Amino acid sequence: MDKRWRQDFPVPSAEDSYVARREFAKFLGLTSLAFLVGTLATAGRKLAKQMFPRDDAPLDIGAVNEIPVGGYKLFRYPTEHDPCIVLRLSDDRYAAFDQRCTHLSCPVIFNAATKRLACPCHEGFFSAEDGRPLAGPPKRGLARLEVTTRNARVWVKRAGEAKENTI
Amino acid sequence: MSPMPRIRNRLNVVLQMVTALITAILLAQLWLFTVTLDAMENSGAAIQIVVAAVACSAVACTAIWMLIRFFLRTEHNETGDRF
Repeated sequence: MDKRWRQDFPVPSAEDSYVARREFAKFLGLTSLAFLVGTLATAGRKLAKQMFPRDDAPLDIGAVNEIPVGGYKLFRYPTEHDPCIVLRLSDDRYAAFDQRCTHLSCPVIFNAATKRLACPCHEGFFSAEDGRPLAGPPKRGLARLEVTTRNARVWVKRAGEAKENTI
Repeated sequence: MSPMPRIRNRLNVVLQMVTALITAILLAQLWLFTVTLDAMENSGAAIQIVVAAVACSAVACTAIWMLIRFFLRTEHNETGDRF
């Protein structure tokens, strides 16, 4: 019985594991190739972003008196999938940011008392003045938008030069 | 122990060392990938960082394939197994 089994499956177990390790090495090679392709694709996207920057039109987000001093307003810019927040820091000072936390993209909440933007997911905090990270997991500042007021209305547009606020 | 199993045992040890080295290189490649992702998200990141990460990843990938090829060639020379 035992002999017949060996005739049907003539592969010694030691040989079997030996071959499996070789296959594993090849699998590691393919994984490396996949990492390289991923890195290349990501780099290509970054290059494309730099070479062909989007020229988004300014957006009217409402009348000046819609946002009280110390208050905020939520809007979406430049697409419906990009939540943003504009803060009124004083009578004539505004600041607008991408509302997604730079840690894991939870929406940040404005706290007027502390003048901070807080991410409730992992206790990340950003300065309401310039969006730089103050505490918690985020290492990168919130993306800023340029805010202007014209004819008693608040306008935002993409900041001309990206500023990097890191800790 | 006859010579062939002894050679195979040695090659097994070499393969384990090669695998460990490849795993270390793969971890470095994973880190390079995260660096590139971070640079893509951060518009203020310099393009040189991305170029350097891609170059290093390409070198790592080449090194991994050369290591595998080196191992299989050695195995072929020692045991006659095809690769």
